[in-house]
Amino acid sequence: MEYILEARDVSHRYGRGEDSPYSLHHVSVGIREGVRTVILGANGAGKSTLFYHFNGVYRPSEGEMFYRDIPMSYEREHLYQLREDVAVVVQNPDEQIFSSTVEEDVAFGPMNMNLHPDIVEGRIRDSLFKVGMEEYRYRPTTQLSYGQKKRVAIAGALAMEPKVLILDEPTAGLDPQMSQEVMELVDQMCLAGTTVVISTHDVDLAYSWAEEIHVLRMGRLVYSGPPEPFFGDRDAVSLAGLTVPHTFSVNRSVEGIRGRSESPYPRTESQLLAKMSPPEARFGRISVRAVPEDGAVPDDGGELVGIYGFRTRRLFDETGSRADVYFDAIEGCCLGAMQGRDAVLYCDPELVDVVRERIRGLSAFGRAPEVV
Amino acid sequence: MGGGRTSDSGTSEHIRMDALAYSSRMLIWAPLGKLILVIAVLVVNVMTDSVITAFAVLALGLALMAYSTNMRIPFMLGVAIAEALLILIVACGIISINGDHSQPCIWSADFLWLDFYMTADSFNQAWLVLLRSVAGITMMMAFATSTPIPHLAQALRQIRIPDEICEIVVLIYRYAFLLLERMDTMWSAAGSRLGFSGIRRSISTVASIAVGIFTSSMNLADKAQVSLECRGYRGYFPIYNRPQRAGIGWISVAVIAFALLYILGIHTEGVVDFAGLAFGA
Repeated sequence: MEYILEARDVSHRYGRGEDSPYSLHHVSVGIREGVRTVILGANGAGKSTLFYHFNGVYRPSEGEMFYRDIPMSYEREHLYQLREDVAVVVQNPDEQIFSSTVEEDVAFGPMNMNLHPDIVEGRIRDSLFKVGMEEYRYRPTTQLSYGQKKRVAIAGALAMEPKVLILDEPTAGLDPQMSQEVMELVDQMCLAGTTVVISTHDVDLAYSWAEEIHVLRMGRLVYSGPPEPFFGDRDAVSLAGLTVPHTFSVNRSVEGIRGRSESPYPRTESQLLAKMSPPEARFGRISVRAVPEDGAVPDDGGELVGIYGFRTRRLFDETGSRADVYFDAIEGCCLGAMQGRDAVLYCDPELVDVVRERIRGLSAFGRAPEVV
Repeated sequence: MGGGRTSDSGTSEHIRMDALAYSSRMLIWAPLGKLILVIAVLVVNVMTDSVITAFAVLALGLALMAYSTNMRIPFMLGVAIAEALLILIVACGIISINGDHSQPCIWSADFLWLDFYMTADSFNQAWLVLLRSVAGITMMMAFATSTPIPHLAQALRQIRIPDEICEIVVLIYRYAFLLLERMDTMWSAAGSRLGFSGIRRSISTVASIAVGIFTSSMNLADKAQVSLECRGYRGYFPIYNRPQRAGIGWISVAVIAFALLYILGIHTEGVVDFAGLAFGA
């Protein structure tokens, strides 16, 4: 398997002396291209340190880093090239925002890449649009709330159009709705072909989102692979300073009571319900539609309306159209349909097939609502 | 003790002042142009001994400030202006009662060991100084309330101040807000743990906050360095949207204002006699 980023036997100490402790200790980890990856670990496990190795800000004390199977060179020009491809969004946006206005800060990365001003302009507009901050373009960064700063920090990374986007605790400090919005954006980045790596200690987020997890404990890699085997080992989870995800725990308990196999493992509430629903339950239908370009959607009032994707969200905001499920709408519409309501899910045109596939995927767990 | 640090709306005063500059109607004017105009007017303000020129500068400053801010002056800024005016009035009072004893006295008094001796010249001089100062403050306020620090840094760049200095100005501006916000938080936290109960304890608390802010700033600098590298920093801060450049138009405006005020000053020196108006001297 080809890795886009790889650490081979990497160790790192913050001090120079032999006595200084390892922040990373013989870590070997590979990030596969296009695979949704989460680095899990308690505070101080070494997640951020590993991230800064991925974009060459830190150099390993021992071992070697690879980008697309080529050993990283720490010469200045190579590092610039690497950082154009591998963008990191740090946990605290205040540490990342340097410029006095939103526009200047988003332009910071593209300008460092020496892009033509017209291209920079396009990237500023696109990235602010994606994070829903266009109207704040000329605002001073000092006047933004924490959530807005976080969006600007993400926009700053998006504007560089990286091949790999690394987000350090992307939902930390955000309210639940904003967290959903950020994760939706991250999802769209993945679908657009960007390899996204997230660090978090939010096990529910990691379990529902990740295809692959890497778990760090006190600077050592203790697990790499799909999430289920790791969360199935309570001792390993506990030793890593984590907890078992809610969905995983409920599935295990219920199937234990019913005396059935835990597999397949549901990661979301809708997957869990699909697995647990009795055959006689009446499900509603979900109609997945591309949002019309003018944003004018018929409102018959009877169906549950969900929206997914930043363009759809913007069009609904502009036209004032009714949306019942504004955040995490795929999940919300599935849950609504499983309770017998018909739902319409409007999404960005390029997402229609993906969303349909995702809903149909519920059938792997049991019964799925009909998708039209 | 900590109550005055934020306004009723919860927004810190320093952020409100920054917001004032960014919402100014003069924001889009070329910062260097504004700077040249203000300097020209300030210079001519002290080049002539005419009270009329000082009045004209005051009127210009007030008009610009009114246009710039719609007279929405933040409370703390208003307090600062009032304090400056009070100091000026006291200073001018001192000037007026320190007249030359060889000149005729219009008012005198003895108080304790002080000898007050006011002449027509000293009285007029005091008024001139007061009006010039107030006019100067008003002009500078018009500039300050319409020019955010990053725009000022741009103006400095245009007059060939080294980039390093301009970037330090911008970074200080950016991080000053963060540190002030952190200080606000620490201040409130200290207050909620009775850190300001009593003078000695307050002094000790303020010292602890100062130390905390210093160490925070070092920590922040380390993290900011890493973030800069993450964002492809190449040793300088690129500017995307440069404010308008000061062209020949701005220089012309500054020269014309200077010339008009200077001519006005030359022809109106001594026209207004405050001593005569006040004392009939």
